[in-house]
Amino acid sequence: MALPRWFPLARNEARILLTSKGPWALAALLVLWAYRPSYIAWDGLGPDMTVGFVQTTATIVLPLGTLLLSYRSIVGERRSGSLKFVLGLPLTRTDVLVGKVLGRSVGIAVPVTVSASVLGLIGLVRFGLFSPLRFLAVLLATHLYVLVLVSVATAVSAVTTSTVRATGVVFGVFFLLLTVFWKLIASRVYTTVSGRAANPYDAPADGLLFALLRVSPDRSYRVLTNWILGVGNSGAGYDAVITKLQTPTSINVFAVEAAFESAPVPVYLHELTGFVVLVVWLVVPLGVARYFFERGDLV
Amino acid sequence: MTTPAIETEGLSKRYGETVALESLDLSVTRGEVFGFLGPNGAGKSTTINLLLNYVKPTDGTARVLGYDPWDEVVECHRRVGILPDRYDTYDGLSARRHLRLVSDTKRADDDPEALLERVGLADAVDTPAGEFSQGMEQRLALAMSLVGEPDLLILDEPFTGLDPHGVALVRDVVGAESARGATVFFSSHVLGQVQVVCDRVGILHRGRLVEEGSLTDLRAKLELGDDATVEDVFVDLTDHSARSGEGPQ
Repeated sequence: MALPRWFPLARNEARILLTSKGPWALAALLVLWAYRPSYIAWDGLGPDMTVGFVQTTATIVLPLGTLLLSYRSIVGERRSGSLKFVLGLPLTRTDVLVGKVLGRSVGIAVPVTVSASVLGLIGLVRFGLFSPLRFLAVLLATHLYVLVLVSVATAVSAVTTSTVRATGVVFGVFFLLLTVFWKLIASRVYTTVSGRAANPYDAPADGLLFALLRVSPDRSYRVLTNWILGVGNSGAGYDAVITKLQTPTSINVFAVEAAFESAPVPVYLHELTGFVVLVVWLVVPLGVARYFFERGDLV
Repeated sequence: MTTPAIETEGLSKRYGETVALESLDLSVTRGEVFGFLGPNGAGKSTTINLLLNYVKPTDGTARVLGYDPWDEVVECHRRVGILPDRYDTYDGLSARRHLRLVSDTKRADDDPEALLERVGLADAVDTPAGEFSQGMEQRLALAMSLVGEPDLLILDEPFTGLDPHGVALVRDVVGAESARGATVFFSSHVLGQVQVVCDRVGILHRGRLVEEGSLTDLRAKLELGDDATVEDVFVDLTDHSARSGEGPQ
């Protein structure tokens, strides 16, 4: 079977990242950031706490690093002029987008895999054998999240003509609003729409609130990986979910089990919707960007 | 009867109120070396950007090697070699990697070293392009355009940033590619370098094609002497079109 047309471009993109310092600095940072053993996590997960470390890599540092390594991928080349070579190749503009997204994703997924492996090794030595299946599943989910982040940043990069605007949308809107402050924003939106308070210490058993929280790809990633870890149905970090659901400590975390208790949980709050939301974030922004990128003037 | 290498009809590009190119009718025959001339801002780059699918037309049609340059970009670019203007290479990638990207995408099996030798970069095969001088970068870009023995070479201001050796190199390459049977279409505002290599020239002024033909034809038409250079023809034409107000204001 012949390789797809965009394959050499994707390989080139991956090579550019893998031969530069940024992704490897990110890899080192991820290990330092995510290695957080705790008694609570140990009590909840045992040796699988190590798998939880992999989830923690994807909090703040991984999205920030991935977005930083992707947001200029097209607008930057448009400014410098190297996009002219790429557009001069026998590729459709959609091929260019696909090649860029997949190549960059591999260029980031490889160092992320190295970080996860290092965390896995440390965990193996210090805390014993964890479930290899869970480890692999969380790692795959993390790769999917990287793909989503690269895809969103590339989509923005493809439809803006100024690097400043790309920076604003990627970091101001996507990173700050949808990743860092989403819990706050979703709570406010919920209160405005429903007129009910969204108190995380005593959350209402309302599907709307939890659905809103899940709009964020960051929280959806954690819903999915918390499910794999088996700690509970929540978009918070695994250790916070364990604290919330398995200890008497009161903590400002939204978890479906705590809110609904014995009440029936709507089917759309199943953990797999975390996966669905990630796929939507992967496809929709890029699809919209493709529409404009195919038609626009690029120099 | 083969299709022309390049054919445009009523090709126009406007940016809001600004007319960059006004109803260009152009035909470049297979196998010829066509010089596309005009002062800066005349619309040369706009034309090339349109032919290469960097921008979309406001009006008109074009065929490049018989293909629609916007809807059949893959088939078209597989047979076209491109040297863009105002480009940038990838700082971290070697010259070899640049050529590999082009040859792998074009599914050609050129030897990067042979191509780099042709443009005088044989000793910089594995040097990152970030360390290249402007002239070396231009030579690399020229080598990239030669990958896969293209049927048509589109060179946008190929003499930019080159020393006299580099200029001679471009001329030699154009001659060799033409001898191989390729069509060469290049733009330039450096007129002296054009007459040596071109079979025909087209002169663009203020977004309109004001004249086209062989240099001999143009001299005769404008009643200039046999020793009139491209500069003379050019000045005469652009003055004329400015006086008679042919060009859009």
